[in-house]
Amino acid sequence: MDTTSKKMKWIVGFLIAIYLFAMFFPFLWILITSFKTSGEIYGDGAFRFIPDNPTLQNFITVIVDKGILGAIKTSLIVSFTTTIYIVLVATFAAYAISRFDFKGKNVLLGIILAVSMFPQMIVVGPVYNLFQDLGWTNSYAIILPYSTITLPMAVWILVTHFNQIPLALEESAKMDGATPVQTLFKIVFPLAAPGVFTTAIIVFIAAWNEFLLTITINSNKSYHTVPVAISFLRTQFEILWGEVAAATTIVTIPTLLIVLFFQKQIVSGLTSGGVKE
Amino acid sequence: MKKIGLREFLFLAPVIVLISIFSLVPVIQSFTYTFFDYRLNDQQNAGLYLNERFNYELFDETQLYLTMFLEEDKQQVTDPVLLGKIDTVIAKVEDKAKAFAGKEGVQKITKEEKTELIVLSKETQEVVQQLAEQYDTANEENLPLIAKDIENSIIPANFIGLKGYKQALGDARLGAALVNTTIFTFVSVAFELVLGLALAMIMNKAMRGKGLIRTTSLIPWAIPTAVAALMWSYLYDGSSGIVAHLFQMVGLVDNSRELLLSAGGAMVSTILADVWKTTPYMALLLLAGLQNISKDTYEAADIDGASSIQKFFTITIPLLKPSILVALLFRTLDAFRVFDLIYVLTGGGPGGATETLSIYGYKAMFAQTNFGYGSVIVMIMFVCVAVIATIYVKFLGANLMDKN
Repeated sequence: MDTTSKKMKWIVGFLIAIYLFAMFFPFLWILITSFKTSGEIYGDGAFRFIPDNPTLQNFITVIVDKGILGAIKTSLIVSFTTTIYIVLVATFAAYAISRFDFKGKNVLLGIILAVSMFPQMIVVGPVYNLFQDLGWTNSYAIILPYSTITLPMAVWILVTHFNQIPLALEESAKMDGATPVQTLFKIVFPLAAPGVFTTAIIVFIAAWNEFLLTITINSNKSYHTVPVAISFLRTQFEILWGEVAAATTIVTIPTLLIVLFFQKQIVSGLTSGGVKE
Repeated sequence: MKKIGLREFLFLAPVIVLISIFSLVPVIQSFTYTFFDYRLNDQQNAGLYLNERFNYELFDETQLYLTMFLEEDKQQVTDPVLLGKIDTVIAKVEDKAKAFAGKEGVQKITKEEKTELIVLSKETQEVVQQLAEQYDTANEENLPLIAKDIENSIIPANFIGLKGYKQALGDARLGAALVNTTIFTFVSVAFELVLGLALAMIMNKAMRGKGLIRTTSLIPWAIPTAVAALMWSYLYDGSSGIVAHLFQMVGLVDNSRELLLSAGGAMVSTILADVWKTTPYMALLLLAGLQNISKDTYEAADIDGASSIQKFFTITIPLLKPSILVALLFRTLDAFRVFDLIYVLTGGGPGGATETLSIYGYKAMFAQTNFGYGSVIVMIMFVCVAVIATIYVKFLGANLMDKN
């Protein structure tokens, strides 16, 4: 018995090691490549683990010439504003759905769930036309259609969280004469803060990763977010892998930080969509 | 539970407005587009025209040049009959211009007006032709084209009804895209489920290093798909990609250069990249479900002498079923809608071998600016997604909605 469980442990450990390696390797390889000279990337040194002549040239090119920091700035602006207004709007709606009784509640929930399942492609054409007519292309107005990807899941996660907060607290607040808005901000919000924060993280990541809307509506380079700017590094005629690697390394850092600091919230947000009862 | 009043309704108003403007109305608009021959860069089809319309701006421009050029060329004309004809045409065109003064853009016109305009156009063309035949004038080459523009200002209706869908039925490229999407979805989700389940069970067992595993799992999920796709396109690169090199070494491909250049290789490569990116997500969803299964159930099974395999099939799978279905629902829909990954990694190539419905739809709409047919493709995709979702929700039962 003892030997089999020990064997088991070794097998599990081995499988985990393989898994971790498979997950990490692409990043590791990109990191290595970002320090290689192009001679080494395309020549004999292509598969060498330690660069012969480590260089920072790729990073300098990407930052100075290709303006990757500008894309990061655009992404930060877009993602932060999206997160703030989506979380605010979704909080009110989720509170109403969780606490009020009204006709068509299930219809509303059904629509929100259905929207989260739409292929994004279906809204892009009309939204593109709308933005053309209003002259909103190449602007930060792009955050408005971002609602189609972020709002349904924000409402969904928040409803789950609000449902876990006991009603009794609000009823006593109401008896003390608090208005619904006061109840929401003084009682529910502090209690729901972890849930709201979780939602904010998930919305932020979704906005940070958005690709289709930005590439169609904001064609101007100065409004390109990180994913779109990155995709333009790969042109048809030349692919400078050193620069691609350096850019990828740089833009992975914000994601890495978010994951390191907020992994508990991310996992809780991901799994509150219907797994937990 | 409180009844809802106007004040409470305000809680919901912003969500309703946002969802309506940016999600629901666009779907209806896309649906409308499918019934029109709607092409953005084609002057005659750059809108949805149920009836015939008239481009007043184009006409205004036309009449301006037409009268100007005719007046100029008239100086050389000596034949009094032709001179008279030219004057009538100029007078008629100017009359029309006066009648249309103040109208802008593209608007509806009546049948009578349309016939009148066509007659006028024909008359002008005749006069201009006669002029060109008899004299050698300065605007000889421009005038016929301008005369024709009177007719071109009339925009025919581009309502085509179900023709777009009919075209889709016979579109081999669409069929191929549907097959590619299905293969991509089915294979990648199947792999993700098996690997994700195995991973979730390992993670559930692992005592040490839980945090490390979780962090490592979240990074591929969290980085933008476009970034991951570009990263993989480097790893798959024919001459300097290490994964392509590895595949060649173990004999999966004859030549690393052919990996992304052969149809099968490109499909396998995109699926592998997708599996790499989303298996951890699947595992996390399933892990949450696994942690909800109480240890007592397994202990009871141990006492009854059940084997690990028996426990897996009689306890784990049935109790995990809701989690599996939810995870499958999310993943299937995501995979079916796949865009960023393929757009950046292969662009749908080689030769359309990895072109999915969303890639084809995107190309039709934004590369060929054919919004009409592009919308047909997207609408077909929408129906597929709806069918997939309905099937899953049926299996899930009211489970998903009841909770709220």
